[in-house]
Amino acid sequence: MKNKFYDLRMGNRAGGMLLALIFFLSSVAMAQAQNLRGKVSGSDGEPLIGAAVTIVGTTRGASTDGSGNFAIDVKNNETLRFSSVGFISKDVVYTGQKTLNVTLAADNKTLNEIVVVGYGSQVKKEITGAVQTIGYKELKDLPVTQIGQKLQGQLAGVQINQTTGQPGKGMNVRIRGQLSVSAGSDPLYVVDGFPITGTIGAMNPDEIEDISVLKDAASTSLYGSRAANGVVLITTKKGKGSGTNVSFNVYTGIQQVPMKGRVDMMDAVEFAQFKKESYEDAKQPVPVEFQNPSQYEGKNNDWYDALIQKNAPITSYNLSITSNKEKSRTSLVAGILDQKGVVLNTDYKRYSLRLNSAYDISDKVTIGFNVAPQLTYDNTPRTDGDRGTGILFNALHTWPIMPIYEADGKTLTKFNRFPASTGNIFAYPNWVRSAQELINETTTTNLLTNAYIEFEPIKGLKFKSSMNGEILRTKFFFFNPSTATSAINVAIPTTAVSIRQNIENLSWLNENTVTYTKTLLEDHKFEILGGYTSQYFRQESSQIQADTYADDRLPTIQGGININRGATVSGVQEWGLISYLARLNYNYKGKYLLNAAIRSDGSSRFGANNRWGIFPSIGAGWVVSDEAFMQDIPAVSFMKIRASLGEIGNNNIGNYTHYALINNTVNGVFGNTVAPGASVSSLANPNLGWEKTRQFDLGLDLNLWNDRVNFTYDYYLKNTTNLLYSVQIAQASGFGNFNDNIGEIKFWGHEFAVNTKNTTGAVKWTTNANISFNRNVVVALAPGIDRVYGTFHITKVGQPFGQFYGVIADGVYKNAADLANNPQVPGRSTVGSIKIKDLNGNGIIDYGGNNDDRTIMGNPFPDFVYGITNNVTYKNWDFNIIGSGSYGNQLLVRHIYSTANLDGVFNMVDGAKYRFRSEANPGLGMYGTTVGGGNVTGIERDWMNSRFVADASYFTIRNITLGYTFTKPSKVYKSLRVYASCQQAYVFTNYWGGPNPETSAQGNGQGDGGNLSPGVDLSNYPVPRTFTIGANFNF
Amino acid sequence: MLALGLTGCSESFLEIAPETNLSSVTFFKTQADFEQAVNACYVPLRTIYNDRSWLLSEMHSDNTYYYRNTAFGATEQQEDLADFSIPVSNGLTTNTHVLNQYRQDYLIIARANQVLALIDKADFDAAAKANLKGQAQFLRAFAYFEIYRYFNKGPLHLTPITTREEAAAKLGTAADLEKIIIDDLTGAIASLKPKSTQEPGRATSGAAKTLLANLHIIKKEWAAAEKLCKEVIAEGNYSLIPDYNNVFSTSTGNKNNAESVFEVQFQEGSNGYNGTFMYNFLPRPMTADELKTLSGTSNPQPQTGEGNNAPTPNIIAAYEPGDLRKDASIGYITCSTTLWEGKTYPIIKKYMKPHSLNGNHGMNWPVYRYAEVILFLAEALNEQGKTAEAATYMNMIRKRAGLPNTEATTQADFRTALMKERRVELAFENKRWHDLVRTDTYKQVITAYGAEIKANPFAYYYQKGYTLRSNSFTVIEKYYPMPADEAALNPNIK
Repeated sequence: MKNKFYDLRMGNRAGGMLLALIFFLSSVAMAQAQNLRGKVSGSDGEPLIGAAVTIVGTTRGASTDGSGNFAIDVKNNETLRFSSVGFISKDVVYTGQKTLNVTLAADNKTLNEIVVVGYGSQVKKEITGAVQTIGYKELKDLPVTQIGQKLQGQLAGVQINQTTGQPGKGMNVRIRGQLSVSAGSDPLYVVDGFPITGTIGAMNPDEIEDISVLKDAASTSLYGSRAANGVVLITTKKGKGSGTNVSFNVYTGIQQVPMKGRVDMMDAVEFAQFKKESYEDAKQPVPVEFQNPSQYEGKNNDWYDALIQKNAPITSYNLSITSNKEKSRTSLVAGILDQKGVVLNTDYKRYSLRLNSAYDISDKVTIGFNVAPQLTYDNTPRTDGDRGTGILFNALHTWPIMPIYEADGKTLTKFNRFPASTGNIFAYPNWVRSAQELINETTTTNLLTNAYIEFEPIKGLKFKSSMNGEILRTKFFFFNPSTATSAINVAIPTTAVSIRQNIENLSWLNENTVTYTKTLLEDHKFEILGGYTSQYFRQESSQIQADTYADDRLPTIQGGININRGATVSGVQEWGLISYLARLNYNYKGKYLLNAAIRSDGSSRFGANNRWGIFPSIGAGWVVSDEAFMQDIPAVSFMKIRASLGEIGNNNIGNYTHYALINNTVNGVFGNTVAPGASVSSLANPNLGWEKTRQFDLGLDLNLWNDRVNFTYDYYLKNTTNLLYSVQIAQASGFGNFNDNIGEIKFWGHEFAVNTKNTTGAVKWTTNANISFNRNVVVALAPGIDRVYGTFHITKVGQPFGQFYGVIADGVYKNAADLANNPQVPGRSTVGSIKIKDLNGNGIIDYGGNNDDRTIMGNPFPDFVYGITNNVTYKNWDFNIIGSGSYGNQLLVRHIYSTANLDGVFNMVDGAKYRFRSEANPGLGMYGTTVGGGNVTGIERDWMNSRFVADASYFTIRNITLGYTFTKPSKVYKSLRVYASCQQAYVFTNYWGGPNPETSAQGNGQGDGGNLSPGVDLSNYPVPRTFTIGANFNF
Repeated sequence: MLALGLTGCSESFLEIAPETNLSSVTFFKTQADFEQAVNACYVPLRTIYNDRSWLLSEMHSDNTYYYRNTAFGATEQQEDLADFSIPVSNGLTTNTHVLNQYRQDYLIIARANQVLALIDKADFDAAAKANLKGQAQFLRAFAYFEIYRYFNKGPLHLTPITTREEAAAKLGTAADLEKIIIDDLTGAIASLKPKSTQEPGRATSGAAKTLLANLHIIKKEWAAAEKLCKEVIAEGNYSLIPDYNNVFSTSTGNKNNAESVFEVQFQEGSNGYNGTFMYNFLPRPMTADELKTLSGTSNPQPQTGEGNNAPTPNIIAAYEPGDLRKDASIGYITCSTTLWEGKTYPIIKKYMKPHSLNGNHGMNWPVYRYAEVILFLAEALNEQGKTAEAATYMNMIRKRAGLPNTEATTQADFRTALMKERRVELAFENKRWHDLVRTDTYKQVITAYGAEIKANPFAYYYQKGYTLRSNSFTVIEKYYPMPADEAALNPNIK
């Protein structure tokens, strides 16, 4: 039981060497300097804000303020370099003057941009892989709380859906349509070189300098066994510019849930009318409650709306201080976010700090320390999920004739139940109480640390050693008092329950790399990288569950009369990973490019026989536009063709799956004595190894008309084999599944991105657009198995993954002849009940087994996803609008098994008004008769059928921002930008199942069938529309 | 440079075993390990008897039906069993209860296989080992006996699987299953302790003999059955409890009593060892106050949905006048909120015992009682022509029930009387369907029973104006079809 975290066998040796190097190598030199002031402008005379002023050969530098002014200490004969994105840099040798004004010429060539790639950076032009970078400039104007939200719609080949509106959660990022049968599909997030083990959702986006998304094998293979889902490299802000720069960003806003998009439900009068009719149709006496529906006029209870907080506030403050001294650079970002959610009693707070510092010990040695502590507090009611947990789902289907408030109009009812004679079979807790009285809070404290040393003994040769640590503590407290609950059919008072959970994650990573850059014979440029890394992760968790409280005010453990033994548990999760890596970049004249990389990973997650995996890749590029014959085509300013091939892995399958484990809680009872019992709960597989993805990428970068139009295209083909697959086996064996490497999925797709500078004069208008087509097909599953069922899904050989599976609804039986002449569900079909297609042609409608009438009835994956961003600036005004969408995908509207349950035990969707009532009044064919009870109505309710599937194509205006910058410095600030903004401004969609066509229960851990069951709408937390005003101060 | 010298310990760095679970490599060594492994073999019996057996053996007969609640749906899985209308396609069924019964039986088999594969090699006290091995053999035989009775065939698993391919085992015939049952029980009879020295609640040599006798009865091997039953009686460890009311356990007491040969053990409480079957047997909807008269708990919750295992008018009529067992077995409750106009329902009183936690009770389930051993013996004797001797045994049972000696004197009359006696003595103890199958009377009895319900649905708890589903009583087959979900994963199952 040794906690290996404190046993830094890999790390402490390296750490010791690191310190030795620091002391051994330090030396400092200083000289006399003078203060220079001046102004940098563009060729059009506009001052350039944030332009860099550096002194060549040193690390000293400054940046211009809101009016283009700068100040810097400089010595005679030193060379000053002025640079700004989009302008040609200019060097000036200092000759002792007091002031200096510089004009920079516009440069449309952005290809010399440096892009962060795995274990280093590369000139954009020389990259052979599929890498897309988003810089701070493109991200900063979006007042959203999560990084994923900032990236929505901006990246080709990356689908980002917000599956729930719960603050700080729900961003589902899939690079190149990635998915897996049993393993995880989230990309690997690497923050400043550290593959983090926690989630990225809580990170303060203001800490970010830029983000690189690595999509193909050539760019990801250095992450080896964790690269198959793609890699997102996040670089945080570092000290730059000159002297000390202080900026303060603040925004505040309100969040709302628009009426459009909410499920169209019956109101109280309509519901009473529906009930009345259903009793009449069944030729039964109408209960007194429904005899006169108009009595509910003006007494409607919209339970869903009652849970929605109108105008929920959100406020964010960020203070950023960067400092660039002669021998040190520091950056500090401190943030506070305070967000109330759009569902009652949601409260989300984030306090974050990041301090990045680097010190030049000598001209050969740099050391750096980055520390980022963070605290988040989250109390979100149990909003998401099925009847058992989700109050939004429950509110949706609660009878609108049930009162939210007592007769006094302000006291919340305790719970609601009508007499059984009304068909009310469930007790309905008051969901407003549930939102207000349940405690469901998570507090996380997170500390990311990073220390490194870089040593460059001779020019071009660089050693880097780093030690990274991550501590994540999660404290969860849940209390369900006796007065409220989130599940339906619980009478109040109920049994009070408390759950306390503590989870502590510890992770460290030691990385040691050496790079050597050399240009031979002028034209042959080499870069060689070698490295050794080791990473370790340990999680300890404990949970205590107590119930039956005498007093709801004291939800302590000891306050509970019972400790729930089954739910009082502790656990440990651990893994270790050791890796060797190497890369060679070569180019000839920057025209012919070659890149080869390899990583070897050894993981504790796999069986002894297959522990080590090798992940190689190769990429090549040809800058066609540098060829002589292209000079005759001046319209083409840049053209590169690139191709790559590589093999990468996926190891997301849990930590001990190759062991046969003993479950020692299978206890027997004999007489009145409990006797401990144990059984083998899983099967060993010493051969369990990596899931492998072989990926081919072919890309084209084409810039036209002096880079006015930049176009990028990529085609990819991925073959994932040896799927980490928990294969279902016959349970007569005593086991449900066997963890194995089996099966194959093929993915392919096309990605197009275009950036245009539409106008360049006083009005600068740019457009970025992208569109991606991702496809997949299941090539093989386990031998003898051609399908795996998900919750409402099938994954079948020869078909795309995770398709909706059910019977095809074909209207209703209109009359006795229609019933007699068509196949029926034996013993259940009647006139007016749902008619289903007899696809297996056996003359009856059957459901279940492999040869029934079910078929693929819908696809949760889109035909294509797309995004478009427009930026317009005019003088001091700036305007930004971002939209993104998805086309051709569907969702399974899960809640209609309640909200279209013709038994009338729940409130109904408005469309149920147009159900079958009689031969003379057959309705629209969507919903059948209410007569006959569950035996009849249960067919359309319990059998997954095409009625549940809804088109979920959408186009969402993510962001509209209008800003104005005051460039004239005041007493308080150097520059000030103020803006007004709207997020999630409008959703264009035909989706009728709820307000969020991006939703998916999958991946939210709600007992949803996991990977095999994507695209289910359980009426999750709505994503709000947010109106924001903000200000960015530079001091 | 820094990488040098850091690789030496890499393999041990990557060797991370779970801290919160033992692995099978280190388990199965000591006596305590095997005790735990054997205890785990009993656990699926709780699920089987709480959730399934009564559906497949009792409600799938003329003894019980369901309490139709027309306001409630998603009940066809149970109703199809009671209505003899389970879906059958290519000799397979999608009925979930059939599937779960099958899987739970094989779970016992898999756990017993783990024990039996390794226990001979383990080094510990021989007497303790014999008693543990005997229990594993008994439980494996018991599970295969269930498969044999329900399906008359089944995959053959006699050793633990180690590869994915082994999960799809060969299908065994009835004869294959009989051989396993006989071999295991012969071993168990030799190894197990008798009831007098065995820990209460565990399998005994008497239980193993009774189970084997049951197999011989099914196979009409009367002499062998007679011999085993007489051995059980000769053990002297069992007796009939004078008052039939006192035969069945309460939530906390009267467990494993003098009449008990083998019973499934439950314990009331929040640790998950409890039963809930009493609640499954309640007519619904039922108010909290009505429930309280039966459960006696301080926090009764109103019951919704549809109840099961409702005593039929048919079984109620089967009791002779003056039979003391009738009032001990069947009670009545009035449900004020039910839509059924009859309002007052019969319920299985045997299992309605007061307890303290709502929805959580500890009554044990009787699997074999001494009364059945006596009735087995009476049957075995009569079938061998020893009708007079058989009568002395059957009259022991009748006497306790307050009834006069049987009037049957011919072998044929006695056979009829004995089956009638079994029906009422063992009512609601999951015997009825198997008796109908082994006497080959199931088709005739169930057909008549179906006609009786169709003629008067109201008497079978249907609200006025409602009747049975049109496919009711269309699938009256001797054995259950194999579960489709398992056939999809094992091509040998057909």
